[in-house]
Amino acid sequence: MGMESYNLGLKGEETAEKYLVQQGYAILEKNFHSQQGEIDLIARDGKFLVFVEVKNYSFRSLGSPLGAMRKSKRDSILHAAQTYLYKKNIKDTFCRFDVVTIYRKLNGAQAIELYKNAFTS
Amino acid sequence: MLIKINSAAILGLDAYQVEVEIDVQKRIPGQTIVGLPDASVRESRDRVRAALENSGFEFPPGYFTINLAPADTKKEGPLYDLPIALGMLVVSEQVTAKEIENLCVVGELSLDGGVRGVNGILPICLSLKEEGKMRVLVPRENADEAALVEGIDVIPVDNLKAAAGYVDGSVPIEPHRVDLSALFSAEPEYSLDFADVKGQGHAKRALEIAAAGGHNLILVGSPGSGKTMLARRLPTILPPLSINEALEVTKLYSVTGLLDDKQVLVTTRPFRSPHHTTSDIGIIGGGRIPRPGEVSLAHLGVLFLDEFPEFDREVLEVLRQPLEDGKVTISRAHSTLTYPAQFMLVAAMNPCPCGNYMDPVKKCVCSPFKVQHYWSKLSGPLLDRIDLHIEVPRLKKEELLSLPDGDTSKVIRSRVAAARKIQLKRFEGSETLCNARMLPRQMKEFCRLEAEAEDFLKGAILHLQLSGRAYDRILKVARTIADLDASEIILSRHIAEAAQYRAMLFKGGG
Repeated sequence: MGMESYNLGLKGEETAEKYLVQQGYAILEKNFHSQQGEIDLIARDGKFLVFVEVKNYSFRSLGSPLGAMRKSKRDSILHAAQTYLYKKNIKDTFCRFDVVTIYRKLNGAQAIELYKNAFTS
Repeated sequence: MLIKINSAAILGLDAYQVEVEIDVQKRIPGQTIVGLPDASVRESRDRVRAALENSGFEFPPGYFTINLAPADTKKEGPLYDLPIALGMLVVSEQVTAKEIENLCVVGELSLDGGVRGVNGILPICLSLKEEGKMRVLVPRENADEAALVEGIDVIPVDNLKAAAGYVDGSVPIEPHRVDLSALFSAEPEYSLDFADVKGQGHAKRALEIAAAGGHNLILVGSPGSGKTMLARRLPTILPPLSINEALEVTKLYSVTGLLDDKQVLVTTRPFRSPHHTTSDIGIIGGGRIPRPGEVSLAHLGVLFLDEFPEFDREVLEVLRQPLEDGKVTISRAHSTLTYPAQFMLVAAMNPCPCGNYMDPVKKCVCSPFKVQHYWSKLSGPLLDRIDLHIEVPRLKKEELLSLPDGDTSKVIRSRVAAARKIQLKRFEGSETLCNARMLPRQMKEFCRLEAEAEDFLKGAILHLQLSGRAYDRILKVARTIADLDASEIILSRHIAEAAQYRAMLFKGGG
């Protein structure tokens, strides 16, 4: 992974963060890591503790890149989420996994899409 | 939060109560189903999710533990979709559980939120009635079948939304009713009739006797002589089923999934005609969780085996036990189940591979060895259990050119019904339903012979070298012939007719 894509990722996360705040999310944590996984954003949306994965693509695309969420990726997010709950001693809270996708449409316009409850364990 | 919803499971022909317990915890979302679910139960998770979302509900957050109690029996089939979905709606407080007490819920969900029919509704409702449960929520498709059981309220639903509305108490649904006697009163209509068959008076008479007493029968004749034609017309002269018999047969068809919305109650005696490539398991029943086979699906009706010697030998030999006992017990690692199998065996075959053996006109081209080999497929013990051995000869030229003659099915049916009525009265209070199933004790009581008949029978035993079983069976057939004659005592002509139905195969057998 070169510097270029790293920067692209950072930029995407910034965009996503702004978008989520607009949607009423309160951001709690960024880039949380566990030994076997990582989560881009952790936020609170009403009664839900939301773990957000940001998918950012530079190329133009016909549709959203949600298909890029492989099982291994989901498992790594799940693992990190469990670690987070344990470390912060959070119990009795509804959790949710959301995915934000950022990509360019064929006409060049930026598209941001939020998939609530995108997957479960 | 925890909720319990009543549901049911099928084992063999009986149902038992299953409690669907649903617990939700506030943590990472997910779902697990415990209580030995099979693949189709586990897959309910995806159907439930889609059905909830497409019915305008929210798929509830949290981690769901779904337990199907009792936890030590295997659960199969999609009938838990509806109780699981309703339970999820209740625990997530999208629906209140006003009407959940004393309510049994079964149903499969389709992805659009519709509720589809499931198998085994009749046994489920019968077991609910036994346990004193009052109400059952069923798919609309199964409503008629469920309503056959009197004394419980059947709530039919088309979709998840309607079911939720009912449980909520916001949209009451009127219990579904069917008129059981109306289902029965209709005179059965058949497209076939005995009057279609030309000639073969001898065979027609034998079929009438077989129908009247529930006797087993084998038709032997050259190709084209009308064996299959005769056998196919047998259902048209069988006596009608009583309500209890009809429920018993319907139960079997319900658990096998052979009922459809056009026919919710089997009102005519079943006629099963499996192809000769059918396996022994297919005939007798079996599988990991044993299912009824053809012998059970022909319960209280006819099992017709065309091209009898073409069946595998194992297939024919497995018939021996149910022919004698009227039931089959199938043991597998999972469970041991007993299914009823009181069927009438009707077999048809050619006298030799080319079909012309003993034919007065056409020449048989089979070697004696081939004929013998053909017959050797049928074991002695099996033939011994067949009461009526009928030769169906090729039609003569005059017969072929003449118009069909003989009585219509309706006329024969009324004679058969009269004979059955005598039998039902005779066996009142016992489990026996027809002469063919008479117990030894009953034979002693009911098969009284005139003196001349007794002498005749003794002679027949010596002459035909009959086994003990054959002796009993001749007596039973004679009893039926006497019943058709409305005679209290068995006369020698009854014995004579019964005995001659046994004689044929001993010359054909080579």
